[in-house]
Amino acid sequence: MQLLKKLKKGSPGWYILTLVIIFFLLLPNFNIIINLFAEVSENWEHVREYLLINYFHNTLILILGSGFLSALLGAGLAWLIIAYDFPGRRFLNWALILPLAVPPYIGAYVYAGIFNFTGPVQRLLRNYFSITIEQRYFDLMNLRGAVFIYTIFLFPYVYLMTKAFLAKQSSSLLESSRLLGKSDYSIFLKIILPLSRGAIIAGSSLVIMEVLNDYGVVKYFGISTFTTAIFNSWFGMGDLATSVRLAVTAMLLIVVILFIEKLLRGGRKYSYSTSKLRPLRRRQLSGRSKFLAMFLSYSVFTVAFIIPMFQLIYWSILSRGGNFSEVLNHALTSFFTAAGAAAIIIIGAVIVANTARMSSKLIANILGRITILGYSIPGAVIAVGILLFMLQLDLLFDYLNLYFGIETNLVLSSTLLMLIFAYTVRFLGIAFNSVDSGYDKIGESYFEAARTLGKGVTTTFFKVDLPMLKPALLSGYLLVFIEVMKELPLTLILRPFNFDTLATRAFEYANDEMIYRAADLSLVLIIFSALAIYIITHQRRRRKNAAEN
Amino acid sequence: MQLKISDLSFSYNKKEKVLNDFNLEINKGEVAALVGRSGSGKSTILRLTAGLEIPDSGRIEIAGKTVVDEQKFLAPEKRKVGMVFQDYALFPHLNVYQNISFGIDHLSKKKRKERTAELLELVNLAGFEKRYPHQLSGGQQQRIALARTLAPGPKLLLLDEPFSNLDTELRDKIRKELKSIIKEIGITTILVSHDKNDAEFMAEKEILLN
Repeated sequence: MQLLKKLKKGSPGWYILTLVIIFFLLLPNFNIIINLFAEVSENWEHVREYLLINYFHNTLILILGSGFLSALLGAGLAWLIIAYDFPGRRFLNWALILPLAVPPYIGAYVYAGIFNFTGPVQRLLRNYFSITIEQRYFDLMNLRGAVFIYTIFLFPYVYLMTKAFLAKQSSSLLESSRLLGKSDYSIFLKIILPLSRGAIIAGSSLVIMEVLNDYGVVKYFGISTFTTAIFNSWFGMGDLATSVRLAVTAMLLIVVILFIEKLLRGGRKYSYSTSKLRPLRRRQLSGRSKFLAMFLSYSVFTVAFIIPMFQLIYWSILSRGGNFSEVLNHALTSFFTAAGAAAIIIIGAVIVANTARMSSKLIANILGRITILGYSIPGAVIAVGILLFMLQLDLLFDYLNLYFGIETNLVLSSTLLMLIFAYTVRFLGIAFNSVDSGYDKIGESYFEAARTLGKGVTTTFFKVDLPMLKPALLSGYLLVFIEVMKELPLTLILRPFNFDTLATRAFEYANDEMIYRAADLSLVLIIFSALAIYIITHQRRRRKNAAEN
Repeated sequence: MQLKISDLSFSYNKKEKVLNDFNLEINKGEVAALVGRSGSGKSTILRLTAGLEIPDSGRIEIAGKTVVDEQKFLAPEKRKVGMVFQDYALFPHLNVYQNISFGIDHLSKKKRKERTAELLELVNLAGFEKRYPHQLSGGQQQRIALARTLAPGPKLLLLDEPFSNLDTELRDKIRKELKSIIKEIGITTILVSHDKNDAEFMAEKEILLN
């Protein structure tokens, strides 16, 4: 009876499917942890003694710097957009999410190009103003530059989270603070910031996860981090043992970060005692503050989206040289890979979310944690875990071959299947979160009503849950689609031979200093992602309008 | 005996018991009201009877058949218990006809049509088949929810706070209507209310919970 109570209203099929999914999600991590006790190679001794401290140092500066700065930028802009009205606010409201469409590694080579000695900034200063400034003042290819790149292209995570949180706050909160004689400035510092701390930290930790995962920016800027080190030991030296060691060390770092995040968010959860909330009413800005607000938000948008776009278009025009078919080819590969992977991932996420919803809170929480685990672990680490697993499988097939004469030859390593498996491990959490919040919005009573009307769990799922979840499914699907489009480290390590996405090809061109050729590919990639963002934000708006009418 | 609850205990968490050895007997065709403050466990009794929650211990029998005890747990879809939810839970993506016929889709199309028309007649909303839930008033939504619940012919009707979402003017009218519908079909009913007046008006039997 007690076990039944924990599983509550479930049906065994859903639990079995979920267990299978969870098993595969955890597999690469187990593989890494088990290998912790394997023999170490000479390389590892060298890495540990001379290089590890450097990796830690660089990684820490990158995550602390970009975590903090994107918190500042994201929370500030969210507050501006939610609490005030000024010309362009409606546009900026969603436009400030667009920088997410630009993968940081593309942003990195674009800005490095803009600021280098032959770039437009230096040329302008030299040719028109006859000012010569030493290049080192403009040098972006260092830790500071990387923090700048991460901040401007990843701050929308904090912006989105904080905005969603603030939109749910009551206006009486602000009104009473104003009546108590507080200025807007001190309301922001004393009320809004502490109140939205949880949302801001959740957003920053997403930024930190992305920074830890990144390979493109640090590689292009020549900064050594765990991810680049894993790449070097695997690609450069073919030393799996060392890359596993590095992966384990990186995972330890992540455990510490997750722990600190939990600590910072704290047990404090503020919520309202009444259910009737009046949403915040925006205050019309005028005069100087209006221009300041416009200037701030438009400059962020310009720096984080307009300038990179113009630079890419300019390069793309310069490169006119018949690589249209190449672009089309990679665009199709990228599109179908992302579309297919996102479909598989959303189906998996729906299965797990439906099971979580039928289970007790404890089990639901555990399921949520496990799905999001993959997102907290850098792609390079996941890749190592999956490689280990696939190599074991192939070894197994080899035995089969030996004893039963079944003809196999590295069937599974480096296939599209393995890559999609890796995407699933990494991105299932994103889809799960969308579906799960969709279930939250629907509530329990439709499900229960269908059950009392004589429908089982599975029939209810198809007839009631699925149609009502549609908007959440679409957002989840598109979010994963964008992530797979932009994905670099997993794809670079695990892709089959001759398999190139827009992301991998653009990165390789940029890395080989063939920036003009990377431009077309990057533009197509950004346009795909930007379109997906547009659909997500505007489907929400359409529904909101429908609800108001 | 249409419903027999014996020694039923239930808790949402380890700290506090919502129900402790609760007993209840309701005869066939009887209308009973569970009255009590919020948190007294009255809605929980409905949810346990419907199979939406699983008790810590105890037994529930419906029409002489055990639906839950120490060994057995019959899933809600197999209990033939109808429940009208406090927020009605009409499926927003289905129209009135589809909502009402949701629980009787094993019938032929013709039978389904007849049954739905009959029920709409019963709740005085004939001709509303094509409307969607958001196009109905609160009172109309409740009547559709009732029709949907009655459609499969449940052995037991559970009403969770049937008057809580209605304004005072409507309340009186709805109470009368609901009472006459229940009398007309003679179904065994348990309703939950925090208002003693509602309970007195509707029910032959009142059970106070504290």
